[in-house]
Amino acid sequence: MFLNIFFNEIKYWFNRPALYIYTVVFFMIGMLISAASAGIFDAISVTTGSSKIVNSPMAVLGAFAAPASILIFFYPSIIGSTISRDYESQIHTILYSYPFSKVNYLTAKFLSGFFIVNVVIVAIFIAVSLGFILPGTNQDIVNPFDLKSYLDAYFIIILPNLFLYSSIIFGVVTFTRNVYVGFISVIIIVIIEALLEGLFSNPDNRFIAALFDPSGLSASNYYTRYWTVSEQNELYLPLGELLIYNRLIFISFGSLVLLSIYKIFSFSQNAFTFSFNKKDSKRLTKSNFGGITKVNLPKITIDFSFKNEIKKLWNLSNIDFLYIVKSWSFISIVILALLFNLIGLSELGNVFGTPTYPRTWKMLQAGATFTLFINVATFLFAANLLHRSRTSNVNQLIDTTPTPNWILLGSKFLAIVKMQLVLLSLIMISGILYQIYNGYYDFEIAHYLYELIFLNLILYVIWALLSVLIQTLITDRYVGIFIMIVLFIGIPLLSLAGVEQSIFKYGSGPGYAYSDMNGYGSSINRFFLYKIYWLSLGLVFYILTYLFYFRGLPSNFKERISIAASRFKGKYPKFLALLMLIFLSSGGYIYYETNILNKRTSSKERELQTVEWEKKYKKYENYDQPRIVSVKVDVNIFPKTLDADASGTYVMVNKTSNVIDSLFLNHGSSISTFEFNKENDLVLEDTLYNFDIYKLKQALNPGDSINLFFTVKNKPNTMIRNNSSVVSNGTFLNNTAFPSFGYPGGELRDDKTREKYDLPPNKLKPHPSDSTALGNTYISKDADWIDFETTVSTSKDQIAIAPGYLQKEWIEGDRRYFNYKMDSKILNFYAFNSGKYEVAQDKWNDVNLEIYYHKDHDYNLDRMMKGMKAALEYCSTNFSPYQHKQLRIIEFPRTAGGFAQSFPNTVPFSEDIGFIAKVDDSEEGGNDYAFFVTVHEVAHQWWAHQVIGADVLGSTMLSESLSEYVSLKVIEQVNGKKKMRKFLKRSLDEYLTSRTFERKRENALMYNDGQGYIHYQKGSLIFYALSDYIGEKTLNKALSKYVKKVAFQEPPYTTSIDMVNHIKEVTPDSLNYLIKDMFETITLYQNRVVETKSEKLDNGKYKVDIEFKVSKYRNNEKGRAFYGEEERDSITYQTDDMKKPEYSVFLEDYIDIGVFGEDNDENETELYVKKHKISKIHNKITIIVDQEPIEVGIDPYNKLIDTNSEDNRMKIEK
Amino acid sequence: MSLIIENLTKTYTNNVKALDNLSLKIGKGMFGLLGPNGAGKSTLMRTIATLQSPDSGSIIFNGVDVIEDQISLRKKLGYLPQSFGVYPNMSADELLNYFAKLKGISEKNERKALIDKLLEITNLTDVKKKNVSGYSGGMKQRFGIAQLLLNNPELIIVDEPTAGLDPAERQRFLNVLREVGTNSTVIFSTHIVDDVKELCNDMAILNGGRILRHVKPVDSTNELKNKIWTKSVQRDDLESAENEFNILSSNYNVDNSLTIRVFSDKKPGTDFKKAEPQLDDVYFIALKEDQNNNS
Repeated sequence: MFLNIFFNEIKYWFNRPALYIYTVVFFMIGMLISAASAGIFDAISVTTGSSKIVNSPMAVLGAFAAPASILIFFYPSIIGSTISRDYESQIHTILYSYPFSKVNYLTAKFLSGFFIVNVVIVAIFIAVSLGFILPGTNQDIVNPFDLKSYLDAYFIIILPNLFLYSSIIFGVVTFTRNVYVGFISVIIIVIIEALLEGLFSNPDNRFIAALFDPSGLSASNYYTRYWTVSEQNELYLPLGELLIYNRLIFISFGSLVLLSIYKIFSFSQNAFTFSFNKKDSKRLTKSNFGGITKVNLPKITIDFSFKNEIKKLWNLSNIDFLYIVKSWSFISIVILALLFNLIGLSELGNVFGTPTYPRTWKMLQAGATFTLFINVATFLFAANLLHRSRTSNVNQLIDTTPTPNWILLGSKFLAIVKMQLVLLSLIMISGILYQIYNGYYDFEIAHYLYELIFLNLILYVIWALLSVLIQTLITDRYVGIFIMIVLFIGIPLLSLAGVEQSIFKYGSGPGYAYSDMNGYGSSINRFFLYKIYWLSLGLVFYILTYLFYFRGLPSNFKERISIAASRFKGKYPKFLALLMLIFLSSGGYIYYETNILNKRTSSKERELQTVEWEKKYKKYENYDQPRIVSVKVDVNIFPKTLDADASGTYVMVNKTSNVIDSLFLNHGSSISTFEFNKENDLVLEDTLYNFDIYKLKQALNPGDSINLFFTVKNKPNTMIRNNSSVVSNGTFLNNTAFPSFGYPGGELRDDKTREKYDLPPNKLKPHPSDSTALGNTYISKDADWIDFETTVSTSKDQIAIAPGYLQKEWIEGDRRYFNYKMDSKILNFYAFNSGKYEVAQDKWNDVNLEIYYHKDHDYNLDRMMKGMKAALEYCSTNFSPYQHKQLRIIEFPRTAGGFAQSFPNTVPFSEDIGFIAKVDDSEEGGNDYAFFVTVHEVAHQWWAHQVIGADVLGSTMLSESLSEYVSLKVIEQVNGKKKMRKFLKRSLDEYLTSRTFERKRENALMYNDGQGYIHYQKGSLIFYALSDYIGEKTLNKALSKYVKKVAFQEPPYTTSIDMVNHIKEVTPDSLNYLIKDMFETITLYQNRVVETKSEKLDNGKYKVDIEFKVSKYRNNEKGRAFYGEEERDSITYQTDDMKKPEYSVFLEDYIDIGVFGEDNDENETELYVKKHKISKIHNKITIIVDQEPIEVGIDPYNKLIDTNSEDNRMKIEK
Repeated sequence: MSLIIENLTKTYTNNVKALDNLSLKIGKGMFGLLGPNGAGKSTLMRTIATLQSPDSGSIIFNGVDVIEDQISLRKKLGYLPQSFGVYPNMSADELLNYFAKLKGISEKNERKALIDKLLEITNLTDVKKKNVSGYSGGMKQRFGIAQLLLNNPELIIVDEPTAGLDPAERQRFLNVLREVGTNSTVIFSTHIVDDVKELCNDMAILNGGRILRHVKPVDSTNELKNKIWTKSVQRDDLESAENEFNILSSNYNVDNSLTIRVFSDKKPGTDFKKAEPQLDDVYFIALKEDQNNNS
């Protein structure tokens, strides 16, 4: 009997087009994913060159599991419908009286659906494996086919997931007899998965997420998250304990579900229902022996006036709206959306564990989590409402009423919009509640309403318009929903296939960005224009929807077309023409602006231009150029018209010993003029790359000087394009708008891509040992140290700031002028700010401290002042005196970036990176990053503005790593050592995670290519650890000596080698290995406590036994691990029951061993922390402590770079 | 008041000609549309009710072209399809209110008064707060009548309304229909001859998309006076009787014999008795003639 039912089902599916459609669609998705990753679109889009193998086991898992996980949306219609079909066709009334058993029936139904899904999965498997080797793919990044990768993905991830989800869906559909409920459960499952995967991003939740993420991906990620490129390319999915447990949990859960289906299921006629209020049952009899009733109906007025029709439209939409909001699917969507929003709110702007004040824009930002939900709800209810009358079979009653189509359609559409408004208002409500919860009472209701109703709603309406059209044209609502989801996800991905312009992607367009300082700024015009463009197309769709609105019982699509044609009369052609006119003219205008008025370059074209640029001009790279020695510039900022212009003079000197006959001038695309004070010919003017060559009539002799007078102004702004960086409040301009000299670089970095274009492999930057490469700093190629003076003007109500000291300030007409002059030499690196600022002032010794801030942003001024003082104190005490008499922090809008940047005596500081931080100073609180960032930026006044490295590898260590080091040390002074672990662990996690995305190479710290994760995170860890090993004083002394030697030096500039040599000098021989581990190589530890126990001794003390392992390994630049070295072999450890030995680089290392207790308030206390010399992998040690020990640790403060920082500590078992 | 149907043709995609050049004129009163399953009754009614459009032909109601101006007809139309569903979780009260809105009754008070009255007529007042989706077949059919009457329709179309109703429900239903049908045109399709006999002043027999006969029920039985004969035969003799006589129908008796009804101008045999003509006989004769014409 089982086989009978089973094969009957299979036969049914193989006779249906649906199976073939699914198979073909998923075949194509699978092939597209793998072929795209292997670079099949390189001809039309950017080259996919990389050191990553695209069909490595991990990549195969991604490419295979992704389409398989989309397939989940079809489970209800495959696995669910095996059983629901029996109900829908009512055949169950007959079938259930047949003599077969529950087991046979259910297992046959379940397994047949399961089998059919696997047919599609096999198609995906074939598609993915073929996609990698399709002609046109880049075979350099594809390995030979490897079946194990696919089998691993299938058996470890895909199959168990399929089992879990299909059993849940089978259960839901069996009991509700409704595929729709199955569909809703899919959406819920997918959202829960996303939620758990989101949890994973927070290191503290990883274990839980790994265990309970039903997709299993978090569990595999748990093991692979720190894999380097080479490990990702080579290793198979590790079947770690967590992954096994995760799989077991969900396989058993799935089995449990199946078992309960079997238990509860019965061959009954009626669906299983839950009833919350059980009523007493009673015997029902009818007395309908009716007599004759006189039909005497009351008088009614039937009114079809326009006014009444509008009223009807509104009333009907309320009925549809109530249907939506009372449905379980809507309620579940709301609950999930609120849950997500709550998580979003709590993680809001969380930097180092510190949240920000709940400003309204932050609340709205967190509300972005609603986007997905509102769209899903729109797609879902567009489908339900448009198909509702037919699904309920009430359509014949409704369709014969005298209500015109525009009301029937309009009421549904209006109901969808009302639903969108409800969901949007939830963003406001939850935002305000969150603000109240946080004791923040500055409610900007108007701001909420403006963004939610004005800005957000348009986009959702645009999607709703497409949704109703699709649901009208397509008779199967699930297919309609699927199409909408595919469009929603797929449209943004079109860029990958070379479709980059928003005007070709439905609903797309530039977004808007809000800043407290500057509101929505000028971005809003652009935003609206694109929205008008799409909205008019959406309304065209709406007219089409009206024409094709399903009414009555048309028998085929041909008939529907002729009905549509007959409806296309009266005002509709006029509406359509008008909308098309708006659509085409706004689109035409956008196209004109973005493609004709301003030459638009696709990323492919940009790639080609980069190649051409290098081929054309790289030859001038080593031509001598004069150096800028003085800059005097007048800048006018116009915050009202958003324009800026500047005129200035460079004084340049030939500092070389050769004559210079040509000048290579680089300038931006703005409108500019150049005039030298020496006669010359313009021999080349490249308007594409903005690169000009001037030949001097009389060559410039060594020591001679030449002046350049230049003017620059932005191209005129248009309605949708702001050609300057000026904003109405909080302008931040820097000197990149001004001309510069020489070939500035900007080449393709990826060697595989370079090879394709016949370019030699990229040298990136020269090695610091290359003495010929030390002529430039890494900040400027055409200047060393300069004199600087500027006059900045702005509107009357704003303050303008630039490096230097204010000499004069005056008002002329409606303009306000500021003259700044620097009294000492600075780098050729300056910026201009202008805004309506409040000013906070303070003093540190003789130095004036000022913070220019937006009036509402006064939360953390004290912390920032404190940070300035602490940094000035620390650096001037430990390294050298501060070179200026003034230090200013200037706030700028987050729309210009979320960073702070140190210019000479001037630090532009984004509103996002400290001004609105809500710092919690308690033990549990996160890091005070307002303070931290301030210290970092002030430290740059030394580490960048005094000591600046040559433009070679590793130079950023001299500025960024050292500034990080200073802030860590200052933080440690303020917070104490214990709070450091939190910070160090976070830096470690960021370093280990970021390096897995490395596409080029990872060098050791002192040779780094400028990657942030090396010079910030790794750099800070290393210098902090180093100060711990050799002592903070010793280290700072060496650094101070180094500063003395190299500060404000002329070329050749210093390098990381120089600094490391200074450190070596003060490092004892026993710790010499540190120099190699920390600076010269990529060295990582795997330290862990294996076992520990303690015992109270007779004298009241405690004996603690600790068994721990230490292992150290190195990575090459691709992340491949190795243990041996030229001078010494690796060491190993193996016991009898170990299959493979453990390896380590030769050890003579000093590592902290710690024992910790608790004080009366349950705070951790150090009972013992001391460095021990470790020379074996496996170690046992006994320590006597005075108080009761609670926890032990090897490198307990995570000072070392350890690939698993979780196992460094262990609680002592009692 | 008249409904004029001319040359109506409709062919479905599976090449079934549901309406075959059908013409019909229907006046005021109850009009019965009789025909076997699949005769095209529903197609005809749906087409009149603006749910389907014909391939060709015209339908004019009181001078208005129904195919061109559907809304005008719908304003005067009350339609009860053969089977219909309702939105789940909505009571009779709510649903009627919803339909009343759709039918253009804008005054809230008027709607309420009308709905209350209709619920009373259809004897649903007690269950008006219950979900219609939970109603029994008869109650649902009565609800169907209530929604149909909401706009005081001039043209009422009911498609096989009595199928599946118990005798009491059926009777009640027909009574209500009869009451409302006095002032309007009621087209009423059925395959139960008794329904027509009891109610209709005019009728047509439809099969294969064509009108086989269009007569008044009274006239049609009068025409058959002295032409219908019955006789009791044994089961085994039925085949030979079928060859010998023009049998219209045969029914089992309790003793396992059969009573056959035969259509014949004169007495077919000595043991035949003259029978009173019934509408059934009209129906069977029409179908039989049509069958013979086709073969």
